[in-house]
Amino acid sequence: MTIQDVLSTVENCRYCLMCRHVASVEYVTHKETLSPHGWALVIASVKRGLLEWNADTVDVLYSAPDNGNSRAHCVTNQPLPEAIAAARADVVRLNLAPQVVYEVGAALKEWSTPFARRKPGTVSGQGEVALFVGDEAQYLWPNCLIAALEILQKLNINPVLIGVGRNNGYLASSLGLPELAAELARATLAELDESGARQMLVLSPGDYFTFRQLYPERLGIDWPEAVELVELTTFLAARMEGGEIRFRRSDVGAAYAYVDPTHAVRVPGRHAAPRKLLASVLPGEPRELFWRRERAHPVGSTALQFTRPDIAEKLTLARLEDARRSGAELLVTDDAGTLKKLSERAAAFDLRVAGLYELLAENLIYIVQSN
Amino acid sequence: MVNDQFLMEMIRSELAEIVGQDYVSVAESDKLVYSTDWAWMPQMWLDRGERLRTPDFIVHPGSAEEISEILEVANKYRIPVVPWGGGSGTQGGALPIFGGILLDTKRMNKILAIDEKSLTVTAQAGVILSQLEWAVNEKGLTFPHYAASSNCATLGGALAPRGTGTISTKYGKAEDMVLSMQVVLPTGEIIRTPPVPQHASGPDWFRLFLGAEGTFGVITEATMRLDYLPEARLLRAVLFDDLSAALEAGRLMMTRRLEPFVIRLYDHNSTASQVKKILGYEFHGAYMVIGFDGDPEIAALQEKKALEICRSLGAQDLGREPGEKWWDHRYDFYYPPQNLKLPWMYGTTETVTTYDKIEGLYWAEKKAVEEGFADVGVQFIGHFSHWFHWGVMLYSRFIIENPPQDAREALRLHNRVWNAAMQAVIANGGMINEHHGVGLKLSRYMRRQFGTAWPLLLKIKKTIDPNGIMNPGKTGFGF
Repeated sequence: MTIQDVLSTVENCRYCLMCRHVASVEYVTHKETLSPHGWALVIASVKRGLLEWNADTVDVLYSAPDNGNSRAHCVTNQPLPEAIAAARADVVRLNLAPQVVYEVGAALKEWSTPFARRKPGTVSGQGEVALFVGDEAQYLWPNCLIAALEILQKLNINPVLIGVGRNNGYLASSLGLPELAAELARATLAELDESGARQMLVLSPGDYFTFRQLYPERLGIDWPEAVELVELTTFLAARMEGGEIRFRRSDVGAAYAYVDPTHAVRVPGRHAAPRKLLASVLPGEPRELFWRRERAHPVGSTALQFTRPDIAEKLTLARLEDARRSGAELLVTDDAGTLKKLSERAAAFDLRVAGLYELLAENLIYIVQSN
Repeated sequence: MVNDQFLMEMIRSELAEIVGQDYVSVAESDKLVYSTDWAWMPQMWLDRGERLRTPDFIVHPGSAEEISEILEVANKYRIPVVPWGGGSGTQGGALPIFGGILLDTKRMNKILAIDEKSLTVTAQAGVILSQLEWAVNEKGLTFPHYAASSNCATLGGALAPRGTGTISTKYGKAEDMVLSMQVVLPTGEIIRTPPVPQHASGPDWFRLFLGAEGTFGVITEATMRLDYLPEARLLRAVLFDDLSAALEAGRLMMTRRLEPFVIRLYDHNSTASQVKKILGYEFHGAYMVIGFDGDPEIAALQEKKALEICRSLGAQDLGREPGEKWWDHRYDFYYPPQNLKLPWMYGTTETVTTYDKIEGLYWAEKKAVEEGFADVGVQFIGHFSHWFHWGVMLYSRFIIENPPQDAREALRLHNRVWNAAMQAVIANGGMINEHHGVGLKLSRYMRRQFGTAWPLLLKIKKTIDPNGIMNPGKTGFGF
């Protein structure tokens, strides 16, 4: 994103309060400064010499969640998360970012992930359909990948796995490391090209957002238009509605709720598909969280888990409290990062957490053999 | 206000012991962000690279009891206290102009009870209005205070300046919806107002806190009236050649008790500029949106009668689409870059008066502003948005696209324009404000507005707040 775009967005947002009602970090911290307008005002004030980048202001800058609520609810689509990422890049260049940013950056540079000390896997052949694995599915909740593959294979789809253990680039971009993000992006796109795939499936809205929107907007890297990008939940829901797959009703009797994952708000129109899938497997009327669908709050699975783990924790706990109040006993979602965060604290709220793909794989009973 | 670093640390420790370490801040970034609200004056000041007075402490209390203890500290050390809700006030009412303790109430954001029989909701004052609305929507109810600031303002912030929402014409102002409140007085007592607002059990003292903008204490909780979500909402737009005829149409709709939930009448300039910019319509005249809601048959009949009135006064019926589009985009006016924003100078010199005076007041204010400041290219636009049985509110605005770059010069010009507008308003029987409040900006007009009754208000203030710590400099009250 050009510095001019950053400046105009920051100037627009610094005195605008119109997305505060969906702001997640302000909701859990109650601090005006840690709100969309607060971040914009701090950046604008540094520009005007009223503040300077120091431990206090940099800490504020790195308290933004970068999950997209502010932009998703802005009538004029102000790209504030992008502006904050660009401001962070400036701070990184000035060597003023929190130490953890450089540490995570080093891990991404060496291992393509901060979650393991292993190099990414290589592309496994060629095919019409690819599946981006990423690092969260590989290392944080591998069962979602195993289950997704099981379902796809029963649909006679054997996707080429790409990005195995490689971060999609969102984390680097969010931390203010755009060059590193672009490196990761190019590596993934090179694998996609190598696979020859015409369709790429992704396991989460975070991946979908990163490839479809973050790459062109923040990194200047276009998604190859010849390749259709599809979220797996959307893909499976369409096949269910087309009669190609059916699921058995599970005998799990718990009151359940679908938890819209982090970044869900960035992909309009994706909210119905996972709910339809879940409703076909679990009996009874689903509960709904207060912070759901277009206004879903994230858990602490964004870059905040590194820069402000205390705020990340608050976000996760707030979602669990939201779920508890809904009356749900079982929480289901599809994103590996969200699953990991929820599961770490769910017991304290008398809640259980399950992966959507695992539930679907366990209860898949009927597939139409495609010709 | 607290100049001594030693005393500063002593007070900071005391505050931290009340609310917890995490909820007291003296960080420079916090001080800057909390030094401005949504008023043009402080925003311009920062925009020009000037520094504003900042609070000494930003505190986030979690209960009325904590606020009571904080006020005890403030009284002991004679430190000003500024209550802060959403910071979305346009009058400078939440500016910490003397430093002191800024009380951000947003930690107190719980919805305590929804009574589906009495149709009430009880909530803490720090809840954001949109979040409150979502919560009651889940029970098929609505809190019919649809302010343009609902996404950012708090419940306390709606009550403190006597706010008004888009559908106030039928449902009333925020002050009309409050049954009871919990308030922490400046001297620390936590009181509850009577459980219902209409009774014959003595003077109506609970309304003292409505419009006091924090100068009489801190509203911490309120029980508010709800309504059922309407079965139907019918909207349409009409166009008048003549503003006078349009005002008469609105008056007749109200006095004949047709109960529109909205009448939004734009003057010719607003129609040509704002309506065109946001909605894309190029109309020449006075554009009016009317809306009726509730039972579909009743609403349809009310709308039919209203249309008859409008046509009889020369209006052209524009149909449903422009009205519905206005409703769907009614808050788009506030999003950047299509909102009024810096570096322009602007102000909302809104007022309210009775029907016999409103037209004269409109032209007088328009003349005072347009003629008085023609040399700086001022634009005057207005719409009439909140209607009563006895009168209507004029939402007048001035815009200067090329104000002085120097902050001091700009502020002086701003204040001169405001003065011209307010003098015209008072001279023509209007009130200095209808729903944004007085704050700092209009504080200097309170004596003129209330005349011989003003000393009474000063006595009340002195009694309630003997040390003058609550939001000094606002609503006409000093220390």
